[in-house]
Amino acid sequence: MSQEDETELSLLKRSEFVRRKERLYRRLLAGCALLTIAVTVGIIMALSGQALTFFDSVSPVDFLTGQDWSPLSNEPAYGVLPLVSGTLVVVVGSAVVALPIGLGAAIYLSEYANPRVRAVVKPMLEILAGIPTVVYGYFALVYLTPILRDGFSLPVLPAFVTDPLPVVSEFTLVIPGLVPEINTFNALSASLVVGVMIIPMVSSISEDALSAVPDSLREAAYGLGSTKFDVSTKVVVPAATSGIVSSYVLALSRAIGETMIVVMAAGESPKLPTVPNIFENFTESIETMTVAMVNIAQAESLGETVAYESMFAIGLTLFALTLTMNYIAERISQRYREEY
Amino acid sequence: MATESETLQHSGRFRLSALKGKLFEAILVVATLVGLVALVMLFGFMFVDAVSPGSASAEWYLLFFATLVGPVSAFTLYSRRHPAVRSANARASAAVFGGLALSLAAFVVLRAMSPYGPLTYVVTVGSLPLSVAVYGRYAEETYFIGPAMVLATLLAVVWTLGSEVLLTPLLDGIFELGVQLLGGVPVLGSVPVPVDRGLTVTAIAVGVPTLVAANSLLRRQRSLDRLLVVTAVLALSAAGTTGLDGLLRPYLETLSAWVAYGGVVGTPVVGTLALVVTRRRNVRSGLVAAGAAVAGSLLVAVVALTVSVNPRLLVVLALGVGVPTVYVVGRTVLTDRDGRVGVAGPFIIIGGILLGAYIDQSLSVTGPDTWVTPTLLVESWDGLFPTEAGAYPSTVGSIMIVGLMALMAFPIGTGAAIYLEEYAPDSGWQGKLAGVIELNIANLAGVPSVVYGLLGLALFQNFLDYAPGLVFSASVTLGFLILPIVIVSAQEALKSVPDSLREASYGMGASRWQTVRSVVLPEAVPGI
Repeated sequence: MSQEDETELSLLKRSEFVRRKERLYRRLLAGCALLTIAVTVGIIMALSGQALTFFDSVSPVDFLTGQDWSPLSNEPAYGVLPLVSGTLVVVVGSAVVALPIGLGAAIYLSEYANPRVRAVVKPMLEILAGIPTVVYGYFALVYLTPILRDGFSLPVLPAFVTDPLPVVSEFTLVIPGLVPEINTFNALSASLVVGVMIIPMVSSISEDALSAVPDSLREAAYGLGSTKFDVSTKVVVPAATSGIVSSYVLALSRAIGETMIVVMAAGESPKLPTVPNIFENFTESIETMTVAMVNIAQAESLGETVAYESMFAIGLTLFALTLTMNYIAERISQRYREEY
Repeated sequence: MATESETLQHSGRFRLSALKGKLFEAILVVATLVGLVALVMLFGFMFVDAVSPGSASAEWYLLFFATLVGPVSAFTLYSRRHPAVRSANARASAAVFGGLALSLAAFVVLRAMSPYGPLTYVVTVGSLPLSVAVYGRYAEETYFIGPAMVLATLLAVVWTLGSEVLLTPLLDGIFELGVQLLGGVPVLGSVPVPVDRGLTVTAIAVGVPTLVAANSLLRRQRSLDRLLVVTAVLALSAAGTTGLDGLLRPYLETLSAWVAYGGVVGTPVVGTLALVVTRRRNVRSGLVAAGAAVAGSLLVAVVALTVSVNPRLLVVLALGVGVPTVYVVGRTVLTDRDGRVGVAGPFIIIGGILLGAYIDQSLSVTGPDTWVTPTLLVESWDGLFPTEAGAYPSTVGSIMIVGLMALMAFPIGTGAAIYLEEYAPDSGWQGKLAGVIELNIANLAGVPSVVYGLLGLALFQNFLDYAPGLVFSASVTLGFLILPIVIVSAQEALKSVPDSLREASYGMGASRWQTVRSVVLPEAVPGI
């Protein structure tokens, strides 16, 4: 009898312990999840704390409407507009590249490509998103800009084939320079490369959205006599609009925050856009918000000066901008999500 | 007549729409190709400039194809037809090349920072959970081992990373924050805080674990045991807080360097081997396997010492590459009748490279005039002679930062994903909280990396007053950056585990954590 009691007691204790253990693990894991909130709070506190001291010495109105950015000169000026416009130039340039190409690739992969092609091409496109941005920046500066300026010629055959046969050496691929007046540091090559970098963001997320459109819609359209073109453009793409738009917004917010590519390839001369001759904005050197921050961080690694604090003010602007865009993307994809 | 022209008109329209369709498809193909062409250009240009393949002679190419490309592609073609061979090949390659990469990384990091510090950490961090496990076996109440080991590990990390690194700055920060907050109130602000910070740190680091141990053992029967355990925890935490690692270190430094290297690399490898074999067979086999691994690497060291070669690298390679390779290859050869040919895969690649290099040396074939030389990996930066320049120090720095980051971000990210997928309810305040966390993670994923840099700057330099340029600050900041990515990927992996497995586990009476640990996680680990 007492033996039985004892086992029961120990079983009870055991289950009590198991319950406690469960609670402990649950709290531990919940703590991990809550850490992400702490990170956000930390970002906001870190940015706004220093930005507030900055706004003590420079009024927010001057900061947001000023047309001159020269924090490190003798007469410092803290107007963020040239930086915002620089970012805008890069965003527009990369959007022109990435949005149509990404959507085209997404439609092709989801509607036209056979599964074997898709299994090869989709991961290859996603490699583009995994390349370190420093490498992209290097590519833009060292290869793309000279190609845009001077063109390039590529021998089709390697030297040990052409050397014994002099006639064959004529076979070189020559592409003329497209933009001869381009600056060494320029917005064009930077934004082209940023565009290439965000293609997989657009294509992957859009492709997911397109594939999620149920086949019944496609079949109904085919049954009414639609061609594949009609089905793709008039049924599938409209049905997946929310996913496509949110992929666009996410990709653009990535382009806004891109740092290393523009640091290496776009130069550091803050200027407002030239209005009538829009193309000139791309051939000249510019400065984005991220580049301005890197510049200050390099120049003032430790001092608590106004320039140092201005870095946090730009950071806050950037954070607010990307946060707003991500929030919009989230809202769009939730609000216009079609439930099938 | 009318019908005929109508048909004509129709066929014209059909042709037009077919043309439109073809054109559209062509545009889509071009759009897809743009990305691929960009990829090829990126790698192509850099490859041509870095390797300059045009400068190699035709003989070199012949050699290259005959020793490496030919055998490897033949083997790949063969293994594509046989799934068992392919999976055996994948396992063997993961063991060989993964082991090689990890042990080389471990070696260079240990070489850069002297192996005795890490060895101290391994001893202190490892011995505490081990003693908990031993006590659990002795007390025959194994169910508390899991959480106690987790707590003990965390505790040991706090001790060894130093209460002075983790706790003191944090407390300082909290004090300062408190003083700033109270500073607004004139009376409170002028009152000095009547607590010594060092004392507070010690009290927290010693008191909390003791109280936890006492609390969890309070209602157990054997009072002598209880007293002993609580005393042991008290003594250990006191020793740990006052610098157990500092006390241990001089003793550890009397060991020769290769023992230290082997201890740091071998402890996790041999421990994992013992656990895996124990789980597959039984405890005795596990111990035998671990013993064999230790004996094998000792043998390597002895042989190296007798021919007077420094055994550091060899011991690390024996433990980090040899042990996993022998285990995977041996197991596959013994148990996998269909796939055993597959283990040859990695050796074909390595053998091809070695054979090619040997013939290349002995026949002095003109290879490509490449920049990718061993110098690049083993020398430091040289601004005057670019051909002599290398990236060794920066590579070691990258490995240290990324390794520490992975150690911190992967467990935390996976933990957060497990909470969101397996624990968080759909409704109630907790469900709402989980929704907020998910939205927050999506937003964090879109925050530019410069902003994280500012967070790190403000947190570690301005708030915690760390010296600039610490690996620790860089790793934590990078960890914050990749946390959302880790969480989202881990969530995807957890989502792909079918619910039927979970239900079967619950149906057999497993608790939620048991289900997560023994059913869901093993299924999801490859994805994570």
